[in-house]
Amino acid sequence: MRYRSQEVAYWYFAVAMLLFGLQLVFGLLAATKYLGPDPLLYILPFDVAKVIHTNLLIVWVLTGFMGATYWMVPDESRTELYSVKLAYAQLGLWVLMGVTAVIGYFFRYGTGNKLLEQPLPHKIAIVVVMLMFLYNIGMTIRKSGRFTTTEGVLLGGLGLAAVLYVPALLEFENYSISIFYRWWTIHLWVEGVWEMIQGGFLAYLLIRLSGADREVMEKWLYVIVGLVFIAGIIGTAHHYYWVGVPSYWLPIGGIFSALEPLALLGMAVYAYTAMRRAGLSHPNTLALHWTLGSAVFTLFGAGVLGLAHTWPSVNKWTHGTLITAMHGHAAFYGAYAMIVMAMITYALPSITPGRREGGTALGYWAFWLQVGGMFGMTMAFAAAGIGQVYLERILGLGYLDAQLKIQVHFLMLLATATVFSTGVGMFVWDFFRFRPKFELAADADDARAANAIAAGSA
Amino acid sequence: MNKKQTRFFAFAASGVAALAFIGMTLHSHTRFGELTNAQNITPAVVHGKDVWHKYNCINCHTLFGEGAYYAPDLTKITQHRGAAYLQAYMRDPSKFYDENRHRRLMPKQDLSEQEITDLILFLDWVSKVDNQNWPPRPILVVGASIPGSDFSAQQQTANAIQGGAQPPGARPVNPDLNPIALGQALFRKVAPACVACHSVADGVNMAGPSLAGIGARAKERIAAAEYTGQAKDAAAYIRESIEKPSAYVVPGAMYSANGQSFMPTTYAKDLKPEQIEQLVAYLSSLE
Repeated sequence: MRYRSQEVAYWYFAVAMLLFGLQLVFGLLAATKYLGPDPLLYILPFDVAKVIHTNLLIVWVLTGFMGATYWMVPDESRTELYSVKLAYAQLGLWVLMGVTAVIGYFFRYGTGNKLLEQPLPHKIAIVVVMLMFLYNIGMTIRKSGRFTTTEGVLLGGLGLAAVLYVPALLEFENYSISIFYRWWTIHLWVEGVWEMIQGGFLAYLLIRLSGADREVMEKWLYVIVGLVFIAGIIGTAHHYYWVGVPSYWLPIGGIFSALEPLALLGMAVYAYTAMRRAGLSHPNTLALHWTLGSAVFTLFGAGVLGLAHTWPSVNKWTHGTLITAMHGHAAFYGAYAMIVMAMITYALPSITPGRREGGTALGYWAFWLQVGGMFGMTMAFAAAGIGQVYLERILGLGYLDAQLKIQVHFLMLLATATVFSTGVGMFVWDFFRFRPKFELAADADDARAANAIAAGSA
Repeated sequence: MNKKQTRFFAFAASGVAALAFIGMTLHSHTRFGELTNAQNITPAVVHGKDVWHKYNCINCHTLFGEGAYYAPDLTKITQHRGAAYLQAYMRDPSKFYDENRHRRLMPKQDLSEQEITDLILFLDWVSKVDNQNWPPRPILVVGASIPGSDFSAQQQTANAIQGGAQPPGARPVNPDLNPIALGQALFRKVAPACVACHSVADGVNMAGPSLAGIGARAKERIAAAEYTGQAKDAAAYIRESIEKPSAYVVPGAMYSANGQSFMPTTYAKDLKPEQIEQLVAYLSSLE
């Protein structure tokens, strides 16, 4: 830790870890319901478990983004944060919003609009939190007078994420039109501006971990951003195929969605070459695992598996089946969960002294169990989804009959999800088992030097 | 390329893509009205949409293929099931499906009658949106478009010997079920099984014509000049078709010859009167 105010990041990370753990509880419950019968049918039905599962995902990943930004901006701009108090107030309001939203969902207090279930007061709270956050970060950079490209890309992504939440506040009487604008938030977040955020963190981590030349890294970061948006913005079309829009959205969606993996391939190559040419070998190899892992898993989950079913003549059969769940889980995990864990793993050794800088054994177990478990879950969803497409969509077997025939894949899902959850449990435990000590890097060096002198003289 | 050039690329690429996207969005707005039959979005349909949101339907079901994958897609449900069926179903789903059989069951939602009516109107509006003819084939809730494909080979042999065994997805029926649900079970259980020749999927004509929408079509049939039978209403027409298949034959050389339908005439004798009434209740609900 080089700046005192970076300690706020720790508390954001801590909240993110708790919510991540909670997200999996509801995910496992939802998965178990696929095996049925469901003893909780009238206490916690599937729809409630699923809403909480997906909303906690969004909340913890955003908490992670905010924490990681509070960590990164002081480093990049070489200054203390504009206001630590504002950062804590923001975290408090954010947690209050998240907790009351989840409690409300138990009582079906929500909008019933997929992924945008937050009731209006909560949506307003989200906007307020976003504004507090952007103001604090903006003022920090302004005060320092040092604004790097890496920061610019990150901030651009965060700012646009806030702007794109506005369509979520609109209501339309025509269901087709409301679907149209729902994707402006959801798609343009996850396949647009969130990728900018991921790109910003990736560049920061690669520059620090590999010692790659900043000018070169930032030059290519712009190329990646350009590629993300060429394909990502018009790629929204792949959500419009079957909802009541003019037919030209089909070929356009097919072509631009096929281009979407290009940016992700670019990101993976970017990370790989940076490491190959590394002039510096940073001791934190665990953070390096997460960083490269994120770039590679994004290419697999978002790029390859997305491409697998966005072509209109394929999507016609796979749309609305477990194939979507296959892509969704791998994409979200690779792109956003892993980049947040990369930032946490990078920051953690300097907040919690006593931890091995190169990563603990538990930390490595957490990484490999998660990656392996998520890969297995993806395959289980894929097998179930392919079975569903052939039985239900092509042969015309009834939905309920087809679901009975793919039960074995739900068992596989549960087994691999257990492996994944074990990995997450280890990550969370590894996070909390060392007490944080908020001392500055220079102080820590002095303390170590003093100890060494003391040891030498003894 | 230097950093300045790549920055220009990032801004230009994003700008051009955003402009093209906004252009297509503006154009789409000029077509939404026609593609979605916006003139049919009545206050009742809007209320139905609010009911859809209020009960969080989308986090189990899909509509236009969007939502969750725990329950069937409902885009075309009103073309597979009539309003009477859906109304009765929404009052108590457990009267139609058995959780032990299908391993999932829709929890009872306690909707008011008005909410159910408007929800069905909303779903009916959805089913008529011009959405590039998706799904390409009907998505059924239970059963199969191809007769027997929901049986295992062993069950097919056993059925041939015993006749009328339960297919794997069917539930054991008990008499306190809704007559429509009992009729739906009989549709596949009577011998010979109705489902062997008739599909309830739209446009799937097998040995017999598709019965999709038969409840509504029956009314047109009896009003038409070519109609030769005795029936005065839709239910009577369906009853007559079961008991005396040749009273009126659907045109087509694959269905009849010399005014004689190919459908077996054994049902009037083999089925109990209440079973015929249950079949009529089920088929009338297909509108």
